[in-house]
Amino acid sequence: MHEVSIAEGLLATAVNECKKSGYGRIEKVSIKIGKASGVMPEALLFAFDAMKSDTIAGAAVLDIEEVPLAGTCLTCKKDFETEESYLLCCPHCDSSSFKIISGRELDITELEVF
Amino acid sequence: MKLKVASKILGANDRLAEENRRIFTENNVYVINLMSSPGAGKTSLLESTIKALNGNLRIGVIEGDITGTDDAARIDRLGVPVVQINTGGACHLDANMIYETLGDLDLKGLDLLFIENVGNLVCPAEFKVGEDLKVMILSLTEGHDKPLKYPLMFQESAALLINKTDLKPYLDVDVEKIRKDALSLNPATKIFEVSCKTGQGIDDWTGWLRTLIS
Ligand SMILES: Nc1nc2c(ncn2[C@@H]2O[C@H](COP(=O)(O)OP(=O)(O)OP(=O)(O)O)[C@@H](O)[C@H]2O)c(=O)[nH]1
Ligand SMILES: [Mg+2]
Ligand SMILES: [Zn+2]
Repeated sequence: MHEVSIAEGLLATAVNECKKSGYGRIEKVSIKIGKASGVMPEALLFAFDAMKSDTIAGAAVLDIEEVPLAGTCLTCKKDFETEESYLLCCPHCDSSSFKIISGRELDITELEVF
Repeated sequence: MKLKVASKILGANDRLAEENRRIFTENNVYVINLMSSPGAGKTSLLESTIKALNGNLRIGVIEGDITGTDDAARIDRLGVPVVQINTGGACHLDANMIYETLGDLDLKGLDLLFIENVGNLVCPAEFKVGEDLKVMILSLTEGHDKPLKYPLMFQESAALLINKTDLKPYLDVDVEKIRKDALSLNPATKIFEVSCKTGQGIDDWTGWLRTLIS
């Protein structure tokens, strides 16, 4: 729903990192999005393409890697991974005390710059 | 060439939120980010809270709405400093919007600043604005299934106000289920049952607020 703000933050961060390293153009932005981050990849792609034009990322492609929701249960001690975007209890034992290890990412991992 | 980076995408917002927070702390203002779905009673709660606390605490309000100034006008009528932000479509407030209003508020003259977020049970929970605390309202008319359907806001909020308790006799809503599910999502959350219409429960809420600020 707020993919426009995310795209804005994404572009600002990428442009900043690129300039900081002394380059002037971005060709590709690689990001990781957790399945539980609440961000829809299609909507983000659309927003990114709509907003990039007047920046040094004007011709950049956005490469999205989706990260599944994974964690460790504090009750039965087992690890789990799920395709769900939200988890209320451990899939093994139904305990609601567990630790999320991945799935809420919203990270830039790599830029291709020139 | 390939440039490896490890940056949070919301990093720019988080950094600015930190900056807002620093400015608030420097000026000794306690800041609460108030969130709920549209019409749950954010502005009504602010009206009740201001009436209950006026004279004891110096309160200010930032109103966030997509458009319009109705909510700010309601606060203005109570003689409390208020700034209206219109997000022009955005479904939440972000740190930059708050940063830009800071010049319009006399922070030194405030003890407590409420930021009424845009009515939305999803997005506001994801954007820090520089608050000390997030507080949310769920009104009884929204139904008891909401914590499990919209978990993030319940997980992020330090307090949950269950509002419109005066309507309970007319509704098939299970308040105990709301409490149980909210606590399973966030065992540390403080829960207050209130009615902004009758004033029931408002004292408990304002009492808790005062313990935060003193
Ligand atoms: N019966 C009853 N009505 C209430 C209560 N609190 C608020 N209302 C009514 O609910 C409606 C919405 O209240 P607001 O305070 O404007 O809600 P809000 O969350 O600020 O709404 P937005 O800013 O538009 O998202 C108004 O008609 C209020 O009079 C309550 O405790 N009981
Ligand atoms: Mg309002
Ligand atoms: Zn388990």
